[in-house]
Amino acid sequence: MSNIVKISALSRKVFWLCAVIFTVLLIIAPVFLLFKYSISDASSINTGGSPVPLWPYNPTFRNFLYLFSDNQFYGVVINSLLIAFFTVIVSLLIGVPASYVLGRYQIPLRKPLLVGLISVRLFPDIASVIPVAEFFITIEAHNTYWGVVLAHTLLALPYVIFIGTSAFEPIPRDLEHQAMVMGANRFQIFLKILFPLAIPGLTAAAIYTFLLSWDEFIFAYFLLGLGRISTLTLYLKQKLAYAPPQNLLATISVCLSFPVIIFSLLLQKHMSAGITSGAVK
Amino acid sequence: MAEVVLKNIGKKFDDHQVINNLNLLIGDGEFVTLLGPSGCGKTTLLRMIAGLETVDNGDLIVGGKRYNDIPPRERRIAMVFQSYALFPHMTVRANILFGLKIQKVSPTRMQEKLEWVIAMLGLQDLEDRLPKEISGGQRQRVALARALVLDPDVLLLDEPLSNLDAALREMAMEELKRIHRQVGKTIIYVTHNQVEAMTMSERIALLSGGELEQYDEPRYVYDRPETMFSAQFIGSPAINFIDGVIAQKENQIGIDSRIGFLLLDKERFGRAGEFTGRKVKVGIRPQNISYLEHRAARRYSDTSLTITVELIESLGDRSLIVGKVSDEITVRFLITREADIALDQEVRIFIDGRRLHLFDPRTQKNIFAARRKTSGE
Ligand SMILES: Nc1ncnc2c1ncn2[C@@H]1O[C@H](COP(=O)(O)OP(=O)(O)O)[C@@H](O)[C@H]1O
Ligand SMILES: [Mg+2]
Repeated sequence: MSNIVKISALSRKVFWLCAVIFTVLLIIAPVFLLFKYSISDASSINTGGSPVPLWPYNPTFRNFLYLFSDNQFYGVVINSLLIAFFTVIVSLLIGVPASYVLGRYQIPLRKPLLVGLISVRLFPDIASVIPVAEFFITIEAHNTYWGVVLAHTLLALPYVIFIGTSAFEPIPRDLEHQAMVMGANRFQIFLKILFPLAIPGLTAAAIYTFLLSWDEFIFAYFLLGLGRISTLTLYLKQKLAYAPPQNLLATISVCLSFPVIIFSLLLQKHMSAGITSGAVK
Repeated sequence: MAEVVLKNIGKKFDDHQVINNLNLLIGDGEFVTLLGPSGCGKTTLLRMIAGLETVDNGDLIVGGKRYNDIPPRERRIAMVFQSYALFPHMTVRANILFGLKIQKVSPTRMQEKLEWVIAMLGLQDLEDRLPKEISGGQRQRVALARALVLDPDVLLLDEPLSNLDAALREMAMEELKRIHRQVGKTIIYVTHNQVEAMTMSERIALLSGGELEQYDEPRYVYDRPETMFSAQFIGSPAINFIDGVIAQKENQIGIDSRIGFLLLDKERFGRAGEFTGRKVKVGIRPQNISYLEHRAARRYSDTSLTITVELIESLGDRSLIVGKVSDEITVRFLITREADIALDQEVRIFIDGRRLHLFDPRTQKNIFAARRKTSGE
């Protein structure tokens, strides 16, 4: 009897271990492949029939050096970073107050508003980009940084508000009332109680927004074309047109993922869940 | 320091009258308990006093000032919520100092206050912990400290001990009483637990369905229940109720009931003769029924009764006996642990004729308890 229990407990452990390893591999494998290609020499890619090696024959950072020596590359990275950064700022500036109201007040039409917000994003980007681009052209927002920032904000805002609302909503009302009885006004309550407690959710929204802007292509393409300002995604498209070697593409991809990883790591400590535990009982 | 006066206070949620024309006067520095079953409107009343709910009708007067339209943060009232509502992202220190920071109290004054309250509530060494890092009892004390440090006129406590286990609760009750003596604040304490109410309060306001049932000192609420609800809610085990009619028999005044003729004590029920023929509900507390074995002398006003033991339930130092009088009628009473009683045994019991509570079955009010002067005028 107890042996059976032990065996089933053990097999459960083994099962979970396998599951975890599998999941990790699933995440790590593509990243690893990408990185491997980015440091591969030509002979490790065009092997002439023999299987591609697990690790390049002659690992090299030549592609990185090439990319970093390209002035245009620096320009587009900085552009993309700036655009993503300001998209995050603007989205939060608009999204946080909206989430606060939607999450904390029983305003009329609250439910339809939230549903409406998300359904806006059900339209394919390719369908909404045309009227948006047309409008941006009439207000001369095309070929400008702030035009792209605004367009990306447009894309991110529904998600930011949605995530933000669910960050504000579960904060126990007692906390607000307690602060009120202790003399705080609405603004102080927002600043000292609600906002700090919503930070984990808002952080997730910020990371999401950064990612969205960083790898956004369609709106950037329609608004910037191949004009004066270019972004990393447009640059990649431009390079692809010349059918570049696989390892250079991999290098560009690595560079594309890098800031996202850094940004996420920086914000990650604010995402620790369960910060509200111990508030009420 | 302030007196709290509720004059014809009412509150409605949608169509539900939660508080109904309530009158209550709570003296300056008094410890008053709002006692009542769950859902009777205790929390709502407390929130109205704190300003978190509007007062639909009537006047709320604190320290001589009408508070109805004064926002919560301008009232000098502190409240401890049932959930404690500690700010989870702030340390114990930051929680306690929150209100003082809002009031822009000077840092030195703040430090003094912090030290004072931490010493009073024994929170040393916890200042830098987060709420989730301290125990339930400690959270309760932090919540209390946070309220006291603001030096409020009135302190509102909403079931502050309901999340604690029995041992902690006893300690906390003593501590609360000590703190009340020490700071002398007006305290309005909410609970559904009669032991807490009986132990701590100077007066109990017993509520039911948003109405005041009785407002009196604990011993009077127990000895002179003004309503059937009061008789039933206060006291444990629950009181026995028996239907009867006030009657005279062989020069004795008593109650003709289905368990026999219950004698009434002449001194206590001097006016009973006037009520002859009146239908009553008789309330008899289990504590006022005695079993022959541990009763030396009998008073003239005791009624003796023979019952069959149907159930014995141990309460520790005593046992609760459910005795059958007839097929439909049972009475509950208490015996000491030493008493030797077995199931199905026939025993004689005595009902104390001085301690009967007579209620009008229609109005449910006590016919004899002279209503003591209590509330709001
Ligand atoms: N915000 C509200 N909206 C509607 N009904 C409420 C609200 N708050 C309390 N009630 C109702 O009022 C009654 C009294 O509630 P409450 O004051 O919390 O009772 P207690 O604290 O005595 O348990 C209950 O029936 C409850 O359902
Ligand atoms: Mg309550």
